[in-house]
Amino acid sequence: MTETTTVGACAPRPVVLQTHGLTKEFKGVLAVDHLDLEVCRGDVFGFLGPNGAGKTTTLRMILGLIYPTSGSAQILDHRVPGDRREALKHVGGFVEVPAFYPTMSARGNLRLLASMSDHVDRQRIDEVLDVVGLLERADSKVKGFSHGMKQRLGIAAALLHRPELVILDEPTSGLDPQGMKDVRELIRELGAGGTTVLLSSHLLHEVEQICNRAVIIDRGKVVVQGPVSVLRPKEMGVKILTGDQHKAAAVVAGVVGEKVVTEDEGYLIATTADGEVPEIVRALVGAGLDVQAVLPNIEQGLEDFFLELTTSSDSDSGQGAAKRRGFIDRFRS
Amino acid sequence: MRSIRREIVKLLSLKRTYLGWAVLTLVPLIMVLALDLSTTKPPPGEGPPFFSSIVNNGVFVPLAAIAALSVFLLPLAAAMSGGYSIAGEAEMGTMKTWLVRPVSRGSVLLSKWFVSLVYVLVAMVIVGVVGGLAGWAVFGVHPLVTLSGDTVSIGHGIWLITLTYLLIFLQMVVIVSFALLISAISDSSLAAAVGSLVIMLIMAALTAFSYFDFLKPYLFVSRAQDWMNLFRTPIHWPPIRDAVITYVVYIVVLVTAAWYVFRRKDILS
Repeated sequence: MTETTTVGACAPRPVVLQTHGLTKEFKGVLAVDHLDLEVCRGDVFGFLGPNGAGKTTTLRMILGLIYPTSGSAQILDHRVPGDRREALKHVGGFVEVPAFYPTMSARGNLRLLASMSDHVDRQRIDEVLDVVGLLERADSKVKGFSHGMKQRLGIAAALLHRPELVILDEPTSGLDPQGMKDVRELIRELGAGGTTVLLSSHLLHEVEQICNRAVIIDRGKVVVQGPVSVLRPKEMGVKILTGDQHKAAAVVAGVVGEKVVTEDEGYLIATTADGEVPEIVRALVGAGLDVQAVLPNIEQGLEDFFLELTTSSDSDSGQGAAKRRGFIDRFRS
Repeated sequence: MRSIRREIVKLLSLKRTYLGWAVLTLVPLIMVLALDLSTTKPPPGEGPPFFSSIVNNGVFVPLAAIAALSVFLLPLAAAMSGGYSIAGEAEMGTMKTWLVRPVSRGSVLLSKWFVSLVYVLVAMVIVGVVGGLAGWAVFGVHPLVTLSGDTVSIGHGIWLITLTYLLIFLQMVVIVSFALLISAISDSSLAAAVGSLVIMLIMAALTAFSYFDFLKPYLFVSRAQDWMNLFRTPIHWPPIRDAVITYVVYIVVLVTAAWYVFRRKDILS
């Protein structure tokens, strides 16, 4: 079994967000299927899944925008729907692309939002605009804003009332590399500052970089949930370059056994289990070989798994689906 | 109250708000200008009610202006403002921005309805005041001659005109409420505005056939001219009372339905 968390996994930390059998059916199609999530205080929680997996639908239900067909979400002690207004006092965030009144300035929009919460003054508006780097454009109308600026304004709006839980739906989508870096840095800082963040993303490496716990969902169902380390496949490829590849192949085979060892552009490629890499290196050095490089084999690694998950979600039948089930099984075993 | 203030801030941020008011203001001005410039007087009984009386008495300008506007332009403004209320936010994607904050959907809906009404009311006040001032400046003001042939003081005349405005305003509230309901259902402000106008026009068409006479008391459009009874001496109240009752029933039913729809609605845009 993977270390998929069950209820109570947060202890001793308090649970900030839970969903209980959260289900949404749209005209006979199950978009979200009995989803159980648990986000602990201080988590930067990655919510991963290919496009169309039901991420945004789940977030909409958590934020009280749509009604679950069955099940519920719980933010701190408040259920959604039901105690929606009390719950939302502790949450900030957006789904899809953040939208604002185009004919009003960034500051004007935030003022409207500020009037919906207690204890948000003008200084706080400037503060959050500064955090996302929009202070200089605070009085420009939103209709002139680029996609990236709207994303950042969305984050500012989410932070405005100092919520305990921040929900961000693909906040880096459509940003340039610098913008992505800035936003990820910001989320990391939020987490470090004790804010709980629920980050939806279809980018595995993004979640790996900034999250401590994560869930992968596919077709509305949890595939795996737990610390980010559970997202790593049990087996991973490494690429090895030494002074004598021929001799090295024999040494590596001695360590990893059957799972050896093909050659690709001069590299040896071995599939390794946990803890085998240091062993391989020791063996190579022990055999008197000059180790030039030991690299993770990305194609065989995380992205590969996730890419499979993503690309085959379009096709219902045939090889894609079968292959994907194979991948999912690998993570469940 | 804060949600009403928010809606007013949004309303005033839109250029079309001022454009709409400006267009409606032009109507009484054009009326006064045209009548002042033309050498022939309009014969009695032509044009909007009291139109032919304007040249003798500027007090009639606000009355003739609102009578002319209430046929189409004012319902159009009401339908657009009500239709835009919910669906306009859906079109911009901003509804989800507000609804993830701890506000009740009911207060969002009601404040949007209320501010749509304020928009229409402001338009009517502008028409009345501008029309009155223009009429006074060009034609002067005199005691009014009512439909019964009696003469009433200028003060009483203005009071009667104010009552007329209120009755027509109530009729516009019905149209705004129709538009609000469709706006809550459809996510398209155009559909809501056009839809509520189409409902009004279909009702008006029904009143034209005697076969549908049994429906007439229940159609709000058949009350459209009932304000004329204010200008009889003594005022003939029963039709006015019936009109108010009809309007209020429509308004309560429509707004309740809109609230019911919006409260349960999945906000997807």
